[in-house]
Amino acid sequence: MIPASWYLILSAVLFSLGVIGFLIKRSLITVFMSIELMLNAVNLSFVTFAHQWHSVKGQIFVFFVMMVAAAEAAVGLAIIIAIFRARATLNVDQVDLMKL
Amino acid sequence: MNTFAVNYGNLFSITIPETILEVVSLLVLVVDLGFLRKSTQPARMTAACVLGVIGSVLAGLWLLTHSGTASFAGDALVLNSLVAAAQIGILLLTALVLLLSFQAEFSRNPGEYVAIVLLATTGMMLVAAARDLLVIFVALELLSLSLYVLAAFAKSSALSSEAALKYYLFGGMSAALMLFGFSYLYGLTGTTNLNGIAVSLASQGLSPLVVVAMVLVAAGLGFKVAAVPFHLWAPDTYQGAPAPVAALIASGSKVASFAVLVAVTGSLIPAASASRGATWIVLLVWMAGASILLGNLAALAQTSVRRLLAYSAIAHAGYMLLGIAANTPQSGAAVFYYALTYALTTVGAFGVIAVVERNMGSDRFDAFAGLSRRNPLLAASMLIFLLSLAGIPPLVGFWAKFNLFAAVLRAPGVGAWGLGMVIFALAASAVSLYYYLQVLKRVYVVPAMTDEPMAVSALEQLVLLVIALLVALLGIFPSALSGWIPLG
Repeated sequence: MIPASWYLILSAVLFSLGVIGFLIKRSLITVFMSIELMLNAVNLSFVTFAHQWHSVKGQIFVFFVMMVAAAEAAVGLAIIIAIFRARATLNVDQVDLMKL
Repeated sequence: MNTFAVNYGNLFSITIPETILEVVSLLVLVVDLGFLRKSTQPARMTAACVLGVIGSVLAGLWLLTHSGTASFAGDALVLNSLVAAAQIGILLLTALVLLLSFQAEFSRNPGEYVAIVLLATTGMMLVAAARDLLVIFVALELLSLSLYVLAAFAKSSALSSEAALKYYLFGGMSAALMLFGFSYLYGLTGTTNLNGIAVSLASQGLSPLVVVAMVLVAAGLGFKVAAVPFHLWAPDTYQGAPAPVAALIASGSKVASFAVLVAVTGSLIPAASASRGATWIVLLVWMAGASILLGNLAALAQTSVRRLLAYSAIAHAGYMLLGIAANTPQSGAAVFYYALTYALTTVGAFGVIAVVERNMGSDRFDAFAGLSRRNPLLAASMLIFLLSLAGIPPLVGFWAKFNLFAAVLRAPGVGAWGLGMVIFALAASAVSLYYYLQVLKRVYVVPAMTDEPMAVSALEQLVLLVIALLVALLGIFPSALSGWIPLG
């Protein structure tokens, strides 16, 4: 039996990888995937806690997170297509019409 | 705690206003795409906006006539006088935004625009009523996803899609951070209900995990209210999004986010444990101080009126966070009063910006030059809005600041930071007067490049005048609103 803390550590590592990817990657698609990775790390953490508490609430939460992540992906890809049409680039450094 | 009977009749009776909005948003799509495809663009926009306004008014009337307290599924959704007041305020703001959208030319799909505005409004109303982590998350995402789409609605504009992208990326990131915080709160307490979390947290010590959860939740909610250091999206989104959408993001969305922030704060600061309360309060006070400082200083350097309003919004979020950190019923009500009147004023200011942009093609300071000669009524409205934002008596912005700072000072246990932060906030709002006057100088002093009158539709003129009158009258008769909001 693998202890619950291992799952939590894995979830924290996955989440950190997502944050790092979000911060250092330059391609919009990769940045977008980093957000999805963070959401999946959250799902793992919820399932682990649901198992620990023997309560179904955490598992239900995961279903809602997956649903929202799918909706977010649809909206995000639509925005990325709009960006590509307007700028013909997917590099975040070149999306810089507005600056301080 | 995990077993409660779910009464769907009860759920339906609580969410009738939201249901009205959803039905109307589908109706708008059917009417626009089914019957009006051959009509001209302005006719379609008018029909869609009229339907949307009717829907918001119907939902608002239902709330006004069916007051009372109710809750669903162990307080997952609650309805009390303060929530109802927030929802009525949100509906009023949506109706005003739609009334100011009649002339908007950014989209060839008016039905979809109005339908998504109504969906966003539904999200705001649910956010204001939610008292369960799951409901808060789903409602916040309904609101956020609708606003991302709306920000990108001007498909031919590169600015609009860039604004949406920045809003979306920061929003997705902070939603993930907030969710991670929620998962730890659930793991520590075994429940997703805010009341249950408060009870459970009060009985355990302050572990590092609690602090991590608090920081993550603060990041998520800080993004929604555009508090430093989670504010980076605000200036770009305010500048690039279509004007009515920027107005919606700056008004209704702020009211809803502050409502949920007050609820979450009540659950994370249990009375029993001072140290845990202190962690959350320290977070809020730091965010407030940084927002006030950075918002006001960065606004000084702007030459675009939209960006100026964005930085001033960050500063206003800082003032309101002080009220939330004080965490008394009075300060909660004062924050709500502030958010509502601030949102009303901002909708008006964005209405004026939309007119100027349509005529001049820009929202730079120069575009506002000589507005007082080109359209005196518009200029007078802008004067009232900006002075109210600066907090000049007798406008409503003054009473909002007065109530808020008084509530902070009166709160027990604010100690040293209370007085210090209020003095700091007062000094900062004196600074803010400078940049608001920079705009008003263009409007009233700098001569116009042309003397031809600024074209504005009768409806826009009327709506802007009504908002300006409301801002002035609510300031002259402050008891009109405070009878409705229990300021104590």
